[in-house]
Amino acid sequence: MAAEYFPVTTARPKQSSRKSPRLGRPLAYVILTLGLVFTLLPFLMMILSSFKTNTEMLRVPPTFLPEHASLENYTKIFNDPKLPLLRFYGNSAFVAIFNSVSTLFTSALIGYMFAKFTFPGKRILFGWFLTMMMIPSQITMIPSYLILSRLGLINSLWGLVIFSAVDAFGIFMLRQFCETLPSELLDAARIDGASEWQIFGRIVIPQLSAPLATLGILNFMGNWNAYLWPMIVLQKIEVRTLPIILTWFNSTHTGQAALVMAATVLIIMPILFVFLFFQRWIVQGFTMTGFK
Amino acid sequence: MNLNQARKKKSKGGLAIAKSRFVIGVTVPLLLYESLGIFVLGWAFVLMFFDYSSGRLGGPILGLGGSNPFVGFSHFIEMIKGTSVEANLFRTSLRNTAIFAFAVLPMNLAITLPMAWLLESIGNRFKALYRTIYFLPVLTSSVGVALVWMSMYDARGGWINAIIRFFGGHPVSWLSDPRAGFAGVSVAMWAVIIAYLWQDYGYNMVIFIAALQGIPHELEEAALIDGASPWQVFRRITIPLIRPTMLFVCVMTMLSSFQVFDIIQVMTNGDPGYQTQVLMLDIYKNAFRYQNLGWAAAESFVLFVIVMVVTIFQMRILRTDWEY
Repeated sequence: MAAEYFPVTTARPKQSSRKSPRLGRPLAYVILTLGLVFTLLPFLMMILSSFKTNTEMLRVPPTFLPEHASLENYTKIFNDPKLPLLRFYGNSAFVAIFNSVSTLFTSALIGYMFAKFTFPGKRILFGWFLTMMMIPSQITMIPSYLILSRLGLINSLWGLVIFSAVDAFGIFMLRQFCETLPSELLDAARIDGASEWQIFGRIVIPQLSAPLATLGILNFMGNWNAYLWPMIVLQKIEVRTLPIILTWFNSTHTGQAALVMAATVLIIMPILFVFLFFQRWIVQGFTMTGFK
Repeated sequence: MNLNQARKKKSKGGLAIAKSRFVIGVTVPLLLYESLGIFVLGWAFVLMFFDYSSGRLGGPILGLGGSNPFVGFSHFIEMIKGTSVEANLFRTSLRNTAIFAFAVLPMNLAITLPMAWLLESIGNRFKALYRTIYFLPVLTSSVGVALVWMSMYDARGGWINAIIRFFGGHPVSWLSDPRAGFAGVSVAMWAVIIAYLWQDYGYNMVIFIAALQGIPHELEEAALIDGASPWQVFRRITIPLIRPTMLFVCVMTMLSSFQVFDIIQVMTNGDPGYQTQVLMLDIYKNAFRYQNLGWAAAESFVLFVIVMVVTIFQMRILRTDWEY
């Protein structure tokens, strides 16, 4: 009798193969694929539109494939003296790389200090960092702008990076990683005559490479896609970063929808492939930290 | 030999000195930098009690006083019961922000949680591919997302109207018709909500996937063996188990949608007729277009308070007192 109620041998392999399969795999695939199409369609539309002409964009009903696919929009953008794309790529790269590197350095250094050193006022200082984490940037946006304008750093890429050299969140995250480092290792290096900075550079930093990679790519992505703060600080065209250039290009080319789509492709697609390549770290970072 | 010398030099006291030197070397610059942070925060706090415009010279300390007079709480009083254009616009923005956030949160959860669950139930090979593609919009610049959706919403050549026409409906001027609406919310607002959801769902999906991978599956399996339907298992076992993640996702989604700016600024800039004017956009316009910085600082403070209250409230209602 008991065997009937506990059909261990028959039920077990079926259930452990996958959990919750009763909805039916085909249906799951259908729903997920519909979602996939919905996700990809806007990208596809953007790419197809960029090969169309501006008049074809106004057709009712719209064409799916471009009637006479041409690279005209792209050549127009490359030959536009008012849109030196490489320069804007350079601006974005400067801001994103400088911000990521400085944040990684300060986060590792300060996180390490909070994890492995004791000094008076440590708890208060760390508490202050935790508080800073809670304060949203729009609170500090206005005075930060006023300070930059008094320092004459409006329209300077440096103005964009000085306020983000220390990141409370990065410190918090790397402190947790540093706490797992064995203190014996650090003490052994000390006894062998390594200076504190050598220990930090040669022992601590290499041990932190995984969290640093995660933090670095998240930071890079956040800075690369940043819009509001760069728009406030960078008012002259030649110092702007890519997202602001894209909206500027859109507003100066109204009625040329296909051309704007080509510019959008050129500005968002290359970096998307880079991010895709680092996707594993980005996802890991998001799930580990909840930081966006 | 070098090593021996170093060993000799580094007595226990020497080590302590080296350590404290290191701490001082790090904390002193840090404190200087942080005092700048405190200064910025203090300035933000002071600014909201002044009628401050960076165009006016004002008093000697930070341009406060003089032609930028101290007004006390009058900004906040004005926000509550004032009749000025700014006060009306503030209340409109507040309402729109609430509509946006309270529409986004349930819609986002209704998409991401079931999809993550479905994604977890399929084979590993396809899982990675699906997840990567769902995640693409999260990686995309929100300005790019806004422009692509603007082209899809285009009244003439846009795809969304093409689909509506195909089914015999009337095309809609999604981003500019002030009268059209659905469920009491203007179509322009729906348009930005959908574009925002499209960009954002991949984020919550990966969070839910991670949570679903982390829970013990014995309970689900046991329930299935006992004859529970997949829906019952999902509703009664899976959801309670990932409650902490639900809390986290709710808070994060709510916070980011209360602070929405990029997509709306690009797609509508608050139009038509301020129907999509959200709080961040109103703050931005007041501060950097109309140079009305004192008012904008007061508005940011309100936004900050709302964000804090929402967070605390959600933590209260979704808190769990047990662990598995």
